[in-house]
Amino acid sequence: MNTSSKIIPALLLVALAAPTALASVHDHIYANGFDIPADAPASKAEASRFLTQATFGPNQTDITRLMAVGYNEWIEEQLGMRATLGEPTVEAVVNARIAGAQNTGQTQRLNRWFWQATYAPDQLRQRMAYALSQIFVVSDQSSMINGDVVPMTAYGDLLATDAFGIYRTLLSDVTYNPTMGKYLNAFRNLKPSATTSPDENYAREVMQLFSVGLIKLNKDHSPLLVGGLTVPTYDQNVITHTAKVFTGLTYSDAPIGTGANFSGANFYGGSLTFAGQYNPMQCWGTELFPYSNGNMRHDITGDDGTLHTDKTVLGGAIIPSGQDCDLDLGDEMDIIAAHPNIAPFISSQLIQRFVTSNPSPAYIQRVATVFDNSTGDLGDVLKAILTDSEARNPPAAGTLSETDSYGKLREPILRLTAMWRAFNAVAPAADIYGEIGMTGNTGFLTAYGQGPLESPTVFNFYTPDYQQPGVFSTNNLNSPELQILNESTLYSSINSYYNFTANSYVGISPLPTTPRPMIDLTTLTANVGTPALMVATINANMLYGTMSSSMQSALSNMIQFGLNGATANEKAWSLIYVTMLSPEYAAQR
Amino acid sequence: MSHTRNSRRDFLNKLSLLAASGGAAALMPQLRMMNTALASTSSLTGYKALVCVYLNGGNDSWNMLVPFDSNGSNLRFDIYAAARSGVYDPAANSGGLGLALPTGSNIALQKVIDGNDASSATNQYFLHPSFTTPYLTQTPLSTLYTQGHLAFAVNVGTLTKPIVMTDYNSSAANRPPQLFSHSDQTSQWHQGNTSASSAVGWGGLCAENLQAQGANLTTDPKLALAISLAGANRFEVGSGSVPYQMSSNGLTSLSGVCNPTCTVGATSSGRDAALNSMLGETYANDFAGEYNAVLQRGRNLYNLIGPNLPPASNTYVPATAFPPNNSLASQLKTVATMIKLSKAKGYATRQIYFVQLGGFDLHSGLMSGGGNHASLLTQVGQALGAFWTSLGPTDVNAQNEVTAFTVSDFARTLQSNGSGSDHGWGGLQMVLGGAVNGGKLYANGGGPISGFPNQSLGGSGSPAPNNFSRGQMIPGIGVEQYAATLAQWMGVSATDCNTIFPNLHNFTSKNLGFV
Repeated sequence: MNTSSKIIPALLLVALAAPTALASVHDHIYANGFDIPADAPASKAEASRFLTQATFGPNQTDITRLMAVGYNEWIEEQLGMRATLGEPTVEAVVNARIAGAQNTGQTQRLNRWFWQATYAPDQLRQRMAYALSQIFVVSDQSSMINGDVVPMTAYGDLLATDAFGIYRTLLSDVTYNPTMGKYLNAFRNLKPSATTSPDENYAREVMQLFSVGLIKLNKDHSPLLVGGLTVPTYDQNVITHTAKVFTGLTYSDAPIGTGANFSGANFYGGSLTFAGQYNPMQCWGTELFPYSNGNMRHDITGDDGTLHTDKTVLGGAIIPSGQDCDLDLGDEMDIIAAHPNIAPFISSQLIQRFVTSNPSPAYIQRVATVFDNSTGDLGDVLKAILTDSEARNPPAAGTLSETDSYGKLREPILRLTAMWRAFNAVAPAADIYGEIGMTGNTGFLTAYGQGPLESPTVFNFYTPDYQQPGVFSTNNLNSPELQILNESTLYSSINSYYNFTANSYVGISPLPTTPRPMIDLTTLTANVGTPALMVATINANMLYGTMSSSMQSALSNMIQFGLNGATANEKAWSLIYVTMLSPEYAAQR
Repeated sequence: MSHTRNSRRDFLNKLSLLAASGGAAALMPQLRMMNTALASTSSLTGYKALVCVYLNGGNDSWNMLVPFDSNGSNLRFDIYAAARSGVYDPAANSGGLGLALPTGSNIALQKVIDGNDASSATNQYFLHPSFTTPYLTQTPLSTLYTQGHLAFAVNVGTLTKPIVMTDYNSSAANRPPQLFSHSDQTSQWHQGNTSASSAVGWGGLCAENLQAQGANLTTDPKLALAISLAGANRFEVGSGSVPYQMSSNGLTSLSGVCNPTCTVGATSSGRDAALNSMLGETYANDFAGEYNAVLQRGRNLYNLIGPNLPPASNTYVPATAFPPNNSLASQLKTVATMIKLSKAKGYATRQIYFVQLGGFDLHSGLMSGGGNHASLLTQVGQALGAFWTSLGPTDVNAQNEVTAFTVSDFARTLQSNGSGSDHGWGGLQMVLGGAVNGGKLYANGGGPISGFPNQSLGGSGSPAPNNFSRGQMIPGIGVEQYAATLAQWMGVSATDCNTIFPNLHNFTSKNLGFV
């Protein structure tokens, strides 16, 4: 391996910034010259392939680092990085825009999200947060939270902060988060009255989508069968009881009043600051108010309206009557997090987001075992997913005589960010409000069929078990991302890619009217006289060296003949653009 | 991986066999009809289209039509209001908002009679006030009902067989799987199969059945009989066919390549050649292969219909004004455009469309706030009203040939949760069209539960009503009965309906007669 001396400054920087990694980094540099770590990728292509799975797209910095330190240490470094946060920036931008009498909206959140995806150094964490945002869904498509630009950004930060923590912590933080509360109605959910019952929405979806699913599972995610039949994880009675657990929650800064009469208490108050809007909700149970007080909003009874009835929840577990609200919620989190479904249910979906739509049962079981043995340590789980032999050693690409359902369709958004990172897109300067424009005013949900925290419903853009009619459904194979690929979104996403390539490169004139990253074409234009070298750069940067010979011929012919006479820049962006349209780029193996 | 599976190549081989037999298999594979081939003469007469209007999230349909008695007792309305935790009144509902519609000052406009019920004591209802407010001067749904073009199917829901409360309680096998779950209940509605999870939907199966009867007339490339304006959906997936998916924003051409013809010497033709070269390859990987297939299909169909649609052409756009800022209306306007285009070009004699409006999962803010139920129903009513107008004799001229019908995940609890309602079961659906036998309620499917249901919350009253403690209704009419009625109108035989709808044989009435 040709280990360039250029990597030394990068290593030293990391060593200075991350003391815990110092010893091993030190060893690599000084102990024995430039050791190749035992688990280093065998080639730059393999490094790029790994980073396609683990980041928002391989770039030279991460490739160099990964090849220098190997998979294990690269992952450990990433696990140790603090989360790059969005909320402080978005709050400042929103405040500046309000002060400048400008509109504010989800564009501010999305610009920051795409900036982090493209430039944040904690790529693994950001990518995990994005994967988690497709399980623990909140969405700006809901009128309940569409205006909550800063709190929604903070929700994204919550996912990034908890990305490598314990699952139960994540579940609890999501449950207490007011943005989730408003999205799925645990927020201001009331104990039963003479005529009403608690809202069942969060009780249902926290179990169906965030934790255990509808039927009991084996550890390899296959359904657990009793007498040949699947077994439901819960029934409507459990939902009704669990709904009572999620009552009494409101904004953290809702005033609880003063004095013996709690004068000024207002369950419907609060939300006075952004922090009030995104800090964990407080619960108005008996820990704050006597049972008899009208402000006591949490249901401490069971299902019959009397004081001393237990709540029978998931798996028949009992939450005793008369408890404080936070105790009830804590019990509920413990009960859910202890369910044997969690490990296969969550592990399987994470594998689908990072590696392959159809993991083998053994792969799921290996990851789920790590999940259980680590008490749901999501960092350990992700490491197990990415270092598993099924992730690192794909089956041979195959000939036509062989079937190949390995891998996944790349998400349309990841096709964009990977292109930006492959060609060192330069972000525009911040505007006078401190905002860095990344989206080019793209309506991602419409154009791509997906957008960050923009799912049409809590069921995400696609479901884990979606099977595209045809070869997938015939063979009982899942193809989640194909659910949003159709004649319409394909055209609109491709036209967006055109806008982000043909109209968005360094040196273009005139400049586009809306700010967006400008890709750097010099790695291509430097070889404009040698089409084969240009195609080789595309192959390495976008397809980790897997480009078929026929595609290489097609691209090479395009440069030599179809674009004969075009400018170097047009040849360069045309290569990128046509590759973004290609079936080979669409599939991640 | 150890999947036992048919290879992509096998699949492609089957398609090429079909292509050789004259079908446009690459565009609309018809595996089930390999032996049927393509009929040279059609047994189907005229043109007909079904339009599935999916109200996504679980429409609180018991507020679309409210029982109302003018004989002074108001008994049924009082039961309804009590079940809904009182009449909605933000000033007075201190213990959580009631969800019952008030009998307001517009009641005269809202009142309707059930033409199927001769008893003046039980045949009066009022419609949601949103259905009395059309866009511009178009006909409101309330009038379309009175004119006999709109019908309600009452207490329809997922059922594998007719049951009552005792059946429900005696065995889980008597119930459809995963009641109250959005995803599962939606799938069952779309599948037309309420007993098991399936990859295919009844719209897609009907399209294939009609295809085998010669519904598709054009040569290649063929437009699929099933067309979605709202993305992927199980309803329109057949055993060997997928819907053509388009947006209501018109068909935009692909940037930087040729659409469909190239300007000689332009650089776009260079990119186009490279793209076509890649699309001409066969891909071993299923994901690359399927992406390739969708892009190819999109290119071919763009070339077929793109030049006839906005932004390229407004020739087939109906003249009728559709309400702005109404996603459902935009979709239905495109449906009207496609119907006009399809009839003019002879693309097909049968088509099945899918449109949807989201936002119905109103656990909170049902009665007030952004996106509340009244605003959603206003969008539905105005979109359907404009659609009906556009199909009129002076515009698209297809009112008697098009039937639109609603489906939704489920109805909702009658009882309030304080500001909204939760997941329920049986509910009301609407059917609109010139062929509809409207002005009536269809509440009898031949089972033990029939008629407009007793809305007393379960557990009270004698005999106990067939609903649960929060007013989740056990349906009296099964989804498969409702769907089979529509399928038969399209030309699917009663015999074939028993295949497409696997539980239909459990029901007495296999055609509810509303169309």
